[in-house]
Amino acid sequence: MLRTERMRLLEQWSLREDQIIVELSCDRNLTGGFAVTHLALTKDALWVAAGVNENIQEYNYKGFELPGKRKSKRPAARSEDDEAQPLEWRTERIPIGEIEELKVVNLVASGMIVIKGGEGERLLAAFTNGAMSQAARLAAVFEKLKKNEPLEEALQSGDGEDESCPQCGMLYPEKERKVCPKCMKKTKLFLRLLAFAKPYRASVLLIVLFMLLNSATGLVIPYLQGTVLFDQALKGEGSFAGQIGIVVALIIGFRTLSLLFGVLYGMITAKMAANVVFDLKSTVFSSMQRLSLSFYQRRQTGQLMTRVNNDSAELQYFFIDGLSYFIVNAINIIGIVSILLYLDWKLTLLCLLPMPIVIVLVRNVFPKLWRLSWRRHRRVSSLNAMISDTIRGTRVVKAFSLERKEMNRFQRANDNYATAEQNYNKLSSTVFPVLNALTQLGGMFIWAFGGYMIMQGQVAFGLVLTFVHYMHMLYGPIEFMNNIVGWWSHCMTASQRIFEIQDTTPDVRESEDPVELKRMRGEIEVSNITFGYEPNKPILKQVSLKVKPGQMVGVVGHSGAGKSTLVNLISRLYDVNEGSIRIDGIDVKDIATGSLRSQIGIVSQDVYIFSGSIAENIAYAKPDCSMQDILHASAIAKAHDFIEKLPDGYDTIVGTGGYNLSGGEKQRLSIARAILHNPRLLILDEATASLDTETELHIQEALEALIKGRTTIAIAHRLSTLRNADYLVVMDQGKVIEEGTHSELMGKDGFYKDLVRKHDEALKMNEVIIA
Amino acid sequence: MKTTEALLETETETKGNSEASGRELENAAKIHYLTGSNAKFRKTEGNMLSVTADGETHPAVYVHCSFPHTNRTSYLSIRNIDNKEIGMIRSLGDFDEATAKLLEEQMQIRYFCPEITKVLSMKEEFGYSYWEAETTAGVCRFTVRNGGANAKLVTAVRLVISDVNGNRFVIPDIGKLGDKEYRMVETIM
Repeated sequence: MLRTERMRLLEQWSLREDQIIVELSCDRNLTGGFAVTHLALTKDALWVAAGVNENIQEYNYKGFELPGKRKSKRPAARSEDDEAQPLEWRTERIPIGEIEELKVVNLVASGMIVIKGGEGERLLAAFTNGAMSQAARLAAVFEKLKKNEPLEEALQSGDGEDESCPQCGMLYPEKERKVCPKCMKKTKLFLRLLAFAKPYRASVLLIVLFMLLNSATGLVIPYLQGTVLFDQALKGEGSFAGQIGIVVALIIGFRTLSLLFGVLYGMITAKMAANVVFDLKSTVFSSMQRLSLSFYQRRQTGQLMTRVNNDSAELQYFFIDGLSYFIVNAINIIGIVSILLYLDWKLTLLCLLPMPIVIVLVRNVFPKLWRLSWRRHRRVSSLNAMISDTIRGTRVVKAFSLERKEMNRFQRANDNYATAEQNYNKLSSTVFPVLNALTQLGGMFIWAFGGYMIMQGQVAFGLVLTFVHYMHMLYGPIEFMNNIVGWWSHCMTASQRIFEIQDTTPDVRESEDPVELKRMRGEIEVSNITFGYEPNKPILKQVSLKVKPGQMVGVVGHSGAGKSTLVNLISRLYDVNEGSIRIDGIDVKDIATGSLRSQIGIVSQDVYIFSGSIAENIAYAKPDCSMQDILHASAIAKAHDFIEKLPDGYDTIVGTGGYNLSGGEKQRLSIARAILHNPRLLILDEATASLDTETELHIQEALEALIKGRTTIAIAHRLSTLRNADYLVVMDQGKVIEEGTHSELMGKDGFYKDLVRKHDEALKMNEVIIA
Repeated sequence: MKTTEALLETETETKGNSEASGRELENAAKIHYLTGSNAKFRKTEGNMLSVTADGETHPAVYVHCSFPHTNRTSYLSIRNIDNKEIGMIRSLGDFDEATAKLLEEQMQIRYFCPEITKVLSMKEEFGYSYWEAETTAGVCRFTVRNGGANAKLVTAVRLVISDVNGNRFVIPDIGKLGDKEYRMVETIM
């Protein structure tokens, strides 16, 4: 929707800017195309304007640059100052009183606004995903307006206008990262990258020095081999007349020197590059640790691992291969060409005759070659992925006796790979010989014309030989320079990805003046919180909860009711959208994250065991504790006995590649970990859900030891876990539907009683089965 | 060694078996199928889809495709806003033409996804690719974050592309792209 159109529309409605509370521009029609429907909410009505005569034939999605900046193959159909075709609107004013409810219905990759009134539901407009958060805001504001509640919070919720770059106005491709890829200059990126090499200034200087020496000594050799050897020593003229021994010794000497400098600079570069990459990796890794949980959940683990490993390796090439070779080759080209020009400019031009053909060839064929090589790389990765899939799934493959099918699948992937490989090889085995032949051709030119000139007595034989040598030295650097563009953008992409992690601001930020909570009493007050991981998908709606210090509160409900989300919010892994959570009367947003988390312990269903010894795993949260503490904690957690039975005791290495712990054993380790951590607030998130009944009983004892004297919030769908709870909260579909003590709830004949009945039935069933 | 007749017999037996097991599955799954005779679909004044099935009227239902990429006319699930299934449609052919058309309209509402008919340009920069493509909904310009997850082959030839906001675009058959277009698309696959 264009600005001028919007102004016209407001005029038509005779609305002032400040009367509008929230607006939404919907962009799609119901038949698979685009159309504008503009919604504006004022204090007493919802205004709707639907474009009538419009047939939108082109559409710029959010995130694409503003028109004009990016060259488009097609000119924009409408622009800001296009007055020729004003849109016609079919407008409507719906008083708020006539709308019972305004909701956003999520569709696949889009959404729609549906209002409910006296005559049932009505589809008002549909929009693409980019407008989703604004739509969610409209719905939230409408609800508040309807209930006569204050609107500020709903208006602030979600993301605002700060999604676009203040410089160029382009929307950030990712909203949590306030960096505009367009305005971020490549040179700036390059300088930032160079900053990683800053601590190694001395090494860099040495490298450049040795490289220069290496080039210089290398450049002398052809001259010695050609002009000096043939034209002076052998011909008996000039300062080296007849002194073959000295000339050969000089050649050997310069070769050795050149080699020596080469080795030296190689050694320093290797050392420095390793250090720089080490720095890069640790920067990325520590930046990642800083980020909020949501960052990780939006991305695949593999993708992040790639960032830490491959992208930093990519940059290693930048520092070792790229940067230094670039300097060397540039110097070589300049050096060789100036020497040649100095020796004989006519022969030099002759020398450069095949050069344009080489450049054209490299320009045109190399991109194709890269593409083929890239395709080959992709095919081999998919082949590898398939192999690892099948090997990991061997049990399933064998169980269904589908070996034949797997072999066929492999055959196909292998075929694909083989074709890609052949294509690549075919092209590369054509291109390189042709390039070689061209180089040879240049040599032939020189021999032909040079030979003619020798016979004419215009030049000496040695000079021609010198030329041939130099020319051969020239082709390598020129080929390299041709690749430089691809290499440069490759590096910039990798560095951009690395800096992206560094630049991302965590969603959950510490407040500017955080309160240090020395010793938590454990009083929790959750009031009217609403929260969703994505706009318009609230997981928790208006949840309130009170926990007194030392109390154990049980949260029950079906899976997906929002129980785990609730505890994630209490430990502030996420921030609430509306409402507040207070611990000891202080909003969690104001408590220093360190002091908050150090006093909260979570024992959850999936236990993470780090690679390391059992002792290290138990002492994870308190690495400086004594051996005795570890023993005691594991004894309380009922883990001591099974650990003692292991041949390596507490030194048993567990985790990837180590000893395999059973589910119950892992759980007991995590309880021991929590006991040692000694939190003031303990959260048990389905701690025993994945265990069998007998193991659960053991764990239960361990848990009771842990719970003693702490505020505890226990989440469970198995009710047996909650028999000790002082107070119970029943949740369903993101809302608290019942609360009270066990006996109170049993007296109510509601959801809880039903849950208990079902649970008992299931237990009985179990008994029958076991009997 | 088995004779040809014996082989044939086993074949019919297997076929019979699989039919029987199919019926068993159907009985166990307890899926309620809607047909023209037990369900009436209607478009409400508010442009919503309503269905009356087994004497009960649901004022607003949505059509979910079980196989949105491979089969848009069979196995459609009719669900209400709370994702409760009212029933399934085995095939659009089980309904009269007008109803089938109505259901197809509803699918267009739910699955908004311009089909790319021609890739005009694709420029890659800093981990994002900027697209301009002719689609069934007109010329679209959008931005895709690089990485395998944003361009997925859902069948051997059908490519679904998601932009930075999760909007979807589909290339129905990548084999039918021109050489130059394929090269552009390939770089982000």
